[in-house]
Amino acid sequence: MFSRPSSSLYRGAAQGRYVCQACLRDVRVRRQLVANAQCLQLRSRSLQTTTTAEEVTPYRKQLKDEAKKKKLEGGPKASKKKSKTKDPRLEKWELTVGIEIHAELNTARKLFSSAATSSSDAPNTHVAVFDVAFPGTQPHFQRETLIPALRAAIALNCIIQPKSSFDRKHYFYQDQPAGYQITQYYEPFAKDGHITLFDHDGIAPEDGKSITIGIKQIQMEQDTAKTIQRPPSTHLLDFNRVSHPLIEVITLPHIHHPSTAAACVRKIQAILKTIDAVTAGMELGGLRADVNVSVRERHNTTGTGPDNSYYGVTGLGQRTEIKNLSSFKAVEDAIIAERDRQIDVLEAGGIIEGETRGWTLGSKETRKLRGKEGEIDYRYMPDPDLGPVIVGDDVVQALRDTLPELPDDIASKLVSSVKYGLTMKDAKTMVALDDGERLDYYLDVVQLLHKDLENDTALQGSIGRVAGNWVLHELGGLFTTSEEGWTDTKVMSQNLTSIISQLLRRQITGRTAKLLIATIFHGDQRTVNQIIEEENMTLRPMSREDYLATAKALLSENPDVVQAIKEKGQHGKIMFLVGQMVRRSEEGTVEAKTAESILKELLEIPRDE
Amino acid sequence: MATRRCLICVRAARPTLLLQSNTRRSMPGNSKRHNSSEALADWEQQLAKPSWSVQSLLPSDTQPTDAPKISSKQLHHLLRLSALPLPASAEEETKMLDTLSSQLHFVREIQEVDTQGVQPLRAIRDETSAAGKEQEITMETLKDALAQEDIIGKHHKRIRRRTDKIDAKDAEDWDVLGYAERKSGKYFVVDSGKS
Repeated sequence: MFSRPSSSLYRGAAQGRYVCQACLRDVRVRRQLVANAQCLQLRSRSLQTTTTAEEVTPYRKQLKDEAKKKKLEGGPKASKKKSKTKDPRLEKWELTVGIEIHAELNTARKLFSSAATSSSDAPNTHVAVFDVAFPGTQPHFQRETLIPALRAAIALNCIIQPKSSFDRKHYFYQDQPAGYQITQYYEPFAKDGHITLFDHDGIAPEDGKSITIGIKQIQMEQDTAKTIQRPPSTHLLDFNRVSHPLIEVITLPHIHHPSTAAACVRKIQAILKTIDAVTAGMELGGLRADVNVSVRERHNTTGTGPDNSYYGVTGLGQRTEIKNLSSFKAVEDAIIAERDRQIDVLEAGGIIEGETRGWTLGSKETRKLRGKEGEIDYRYMPDPDLGPVIVGDDVVQALRDTLPELPDDIASKLVSSVKYGLTMKDAKTMVALDDGERLDYYLDVVQLLHKDLENDTALQGSIGRVAGNWVLHELGGLFTTSEEGWTDTKVMSQNLTSIISQLLRRQITGRTAKLLIATIFHGDQRTVNQIIEEENMTLRPMSREDYLATAKALLSENPDVVQAIKEKGQHGKIMFLVGQMVRRSEEGTVEAKTAESILKELLEIPRDE
Repeated sequence: MATRRCLICVRAARPTLLLQSNTRRSMPGNSKRHNSSEALADWEQQLAKPSWSVQSLLPSDTQPTDAPKISSKQLHHLLRLSALPLPASAEEETKMLDTLSSQLHFVREIQEVDTQGVQPLRAIRDETSAAGKEQEITMETLKDALAQEDIIGKHHKRIRRRTDKIDAKDAEDWDVLGYAERKSGKYFVVDSGKS
């Protein structure tokens, strides 16, 4: 009814007069779009007459539930075996997945009122009259909320629409005081984007080196209230979160494997966090995903469902929607479970109902939340209280120019540049840790090291890699063991630089270096050089004779180990001997590498084995 | 529905056109030519009685509706969507169905208006290009919010919005729970049980 009915309407007015055919066609198309793409809710939006509501369960509880369920079904072995064997049915059936992600934007105020946003403040302390839908109150679009939204759209390569508008999506639920949600259904602010996933992002091997997922649109909408269940039927409501700005990112059904879907959600979250568009990730409930799952026969291109095509993707089967997915693992597991269920139904000769389903971590199958008969007609209409959102070109350009570097670009730089030379895995970890602080620290250390060792051209090539190892694993390990959060003041970058520099110049052994960093970490205020001097840690390399003597003594003391190495070929035990050599000798005299080669020489094992 | 209603307002500004196209519904005779001396009296006579009624758009005895039949199931679905109570008796249901039927008839009549090339109206708002320029969100509009962001990081520069407490007293300083029917501590209480 909102779209323009064609003139054929008036010609056919005599016949189908009650609902214009053009509108019917539009409704059918739109219902298809609605059914396919538009987010229903992350919780089941049941009307008061149907099934009970779902709460977003905390992540820890989910993991506990999952562990409990696993225990009940008797050990991990059974399920492990299942996942290893390739499902032969996948030769016949192809999975198609579309994802809808809702992310809470990082803004000072709410979307339609000037109340402050909050995440864990006292209940009902940041509520404007409009938020609780007092009769007669009007929405006031807070334009600043566009900043993170536009950044998100730019980072996801979307086309920003110069003009967009707000619509009402009507349904009744206790966490939505107005009886409708204000969203952007007809004219979202950003359309036609894409995101590229690579093999190192964790996509399915069948997707090759990279896959590009299209993004249909990104729209702004309101969040709902927080509900606390008090069984059996009471709910406590906190309206702080009502009207908190959300963006909904809707992907096209270009995803064909569950791990790719999880990778997609992970990547979108990483991008949004890097550009400061969202504050909390999935683990904290700041980002939620709904997925649309359908299967079709690979060699039958016409599709079995009534919704045969969606925005250019043709031949799709009937899809179901899974809501309330609050972790990456849940996304992957739920898709696998639903795909298997759908294949079971179709192979048994049944048909898939277009329904809404739910998933709890640890379950084996999705469960039905709402069927077709409970389908809600949202009666979308443009919100007459709100004017259009007109975004100037200067804003888009400025935000594009000042957009922070995206995780992909940073990681590529860390891998490809000679200055850093990290592995992709390490690079991605570095980028993701501690909101970018770890990376900043690493870059500082590398810069200091390059300056320190600028005359040692031979060592230049290994600076990046060694520094990466120390920042991620050695220093990172210390923080993990002491269960502290990261801070760059525990071991100042200058100190770490000294340690690594001395290590690279072979002035101290690896073992000594580890000792040094631990000492400083636990509060030693002296400089690195001071400690080395005072504790006499400088490497005083042993002469070859001393090495041989120590090694020979060791070998004669451990004849059984020698036998194992020489006769049974257990070369791993050489490292045990190396360790013994290091431990026996004075601190800072034995270098592991030299010890190893001496031992190998004595045992007559070729150097490179 | 607001869209159609507004269109009708626009169209109704020219009732004579409507009269001419719906002659079977118009009140008797008024398209005769009069000379100017009688013109004034004629106008008074014309304005004395209504010449058109919205009843003409509703079904009547002379004009029974041929609207499609709405089933009881459809009616119940619509009522549930609107959170309205289901009819208490069979008579009430029949009454509702009849009303709905007339409304559909009304809609058909309205849809016969030619709206080719007319953009649907969403609200009465200044839609001139000057107004568009005024409403445009520019860097100037956002400068205060952008000033609330810092660029942090020594080598890896990134944006962080400052999260100090903002002054939202205008919006937040009122008794939120004051009108709550039921509350528990600082929460509103809702009971969704079927009683």
